[in-house]
Amino acid sequence: MISLRGVSLVYPNGTRALDAIDLEIAKGSFVFLVGHSGTGKSSLLRLLYREQVPTRGEVIVDATRVDRLRRSKVAQLRRNVGVVFQDFKLLSDKTVWENVAFALQVTGARTKDVMRQVPRVLDLVGLAHKSRMFPSELSGGEQQRTAIARALVNNPKILLCDEPTGNLDPSNTNEIMDLLHRINLKGTTVLIATHNAIVVDRMRRRVIRLEDGKIVADEERGYYLAAGGDRPLLVAEELEPIRSRNGLGTNPLFSE
Amino acid sequence: MDSGRIRFFLSEVGRNFTRNLVMQLTAIGTVTVTIVLLGSFLFTRLTFGAIGNDVLQKIEISVFLADTATPAQAKALAATLERDPRVRSVQYVPKAEGLREMRDRLRGQIDTSLLTTNPLPDALRVRLVDPTHANDVAAFARKQPLVANVEYAQDSVQELLRISDVVGRIGLVIIALLVFTAAIIISNTIRLTVFARRREIAIMQLVGASSTYIRMPFIFEGLLDGVLGAAIAVALLAIAHAQLWPRLVAALPFIPLHSATIDGLTFALQLLGVGALVGIVASWLSVGRYLRT
Repeated sequence: MISLRGVSLVYPNGTRALDAIDLEIAKGSFVFLVGHSGTGKSSLLRLLYREQVPTRGEVIVDATRVDRLRRSKVAQLRRNVGVVFQDFKLLSDKTVWENVAFALQVTGARTKDVMRQVPRVLDLVGLAHKSRMFPSELSGGEQQRTAIARALVNNPKILLCDEPTGNLDPSNTNEIMDLLHRINLKGTTVLIATHNAIVVDRMRRRVIRLEDGKIVADEERGYYLAAGGDRPLLVAEELEPIRSRNGLGTNPLFSE
Repeated sequence: MDSGRIRFFLSEVGRNFTRNLVMQLTAIGTVTVTIVLLGSFLFTRLTFGAIGNDVLQKIEISVFLADTATPAQAKALAATLERDPRVRSVQYVPKAEGLREMRDRLRGQIDTSLLTTNPLPDALRVRLVDPTHANDVAAFARKQPLVANVEYAQDSVQELLRISDVVGRIGLVIIALLVFTAAIIISNTIRLTVFARRREIAIMQLVGASSTYIRMPFIFEGLLDGVLGAAIAVALLAIAHAQLWPRLVAALPFIPLHSATIDGLTFALQLLGVGALVGIVASWLSVGRYLRT
């Protein structure tokens, strides 16, 4: 389903974000991408939905050479690849229903399909009863579920999540991970970049570890730390951006 | 396209349009001012042009023949001149007819009954296809045998041609500047809307909206600015024309203003078209620049 061959990504300022990455991800799998901040997790995800083009190498998503995709074909790719972010990226002046429907409407979907698809995904993420609320009236977990519903409404084959629980407390985190698990069970390939050792260790799925733009570990049923790892779950410089993004003094992940 | 999709599209346009109403009104106002100036200018030019043409069309070259020329020779010369492609028509005016015409023209001003002999020579009246050729045709006629003299309003023809040319050039520059200004202001307005909606645009791109789809509401917004501005301008011009034109015609009887009839509907549609085009092009450019990055 996803295949990277000899992929390197060097930013214009000379930063080497990814270095000769080889990676195969099978259809229907559930994969964690872990590593420090700045090791290239987000960059790798961005290659998959063509937000970024690799400096070298091949990026293949669903049998398509994404790195060679013409600009006019990018929209088509993105209908096949749902993306979820840490900061939800919801539109604050639209309701839950409108946020989800928006993703369909802007692809030119027929009203009939919108009316059928939106309730289906809202039901899946358990927000059918809050469809008329605005994002500001929802909890963080509910906002993320809205974002997931939006990512799923086009029936993508792949769901990419960049720190999906980064802004959530543990109970909301569990909720979201359960939801992503259920989505995976329906056949969607799920790839999650995360810092959250607890969810990684609890799920025991394939774990790919990046360091300085290279894959340093790739284990089926892995842990956040590869066997023999000797570093703490999160180091200070990883906590800091989470704190500042949340405007919180403490990391919500560990407030329990 | 079903009604739901049209409704969604219109609501997106409406959202864009009302998000920054002050800026929107500025853009519309600028288009209005531009189109009013453009319209007045074009109208003046068209009127001036029509009057000028009217005068120019009436300019004729008088070819006076020698006394020795017979009517047959005069007609042969007329035929020669008529074969020239620059010549529209040649009229043979024998001296008797020339006198009769002169008497008609001067009736009540000069007592022509005092004129007992006919002082006029036979003449050919030559009208031209294009008045700019007056010099050449006159020179050509002068070289023909039996031609005593050639007269035409050389200076006034050339002056008229020169003025209308200069006015035309200045007009083009002014129009270009005006349209350019309007385009920049619309473009800036659209850019503000694009900027205000950058999050939505990012999400549209993320979920796979085509760039045409993303562009469309902004193009429509620009179109709306252009057409609304032009419509207000056309209304203002129509009111001004209805109020001022009859008075102008009455006040300036010696200028043949009546000859300058302009098709108001076509003119209005042309101005609306200019507004629409400026709006579309300006918004297309400003959205395009944003979407490329």
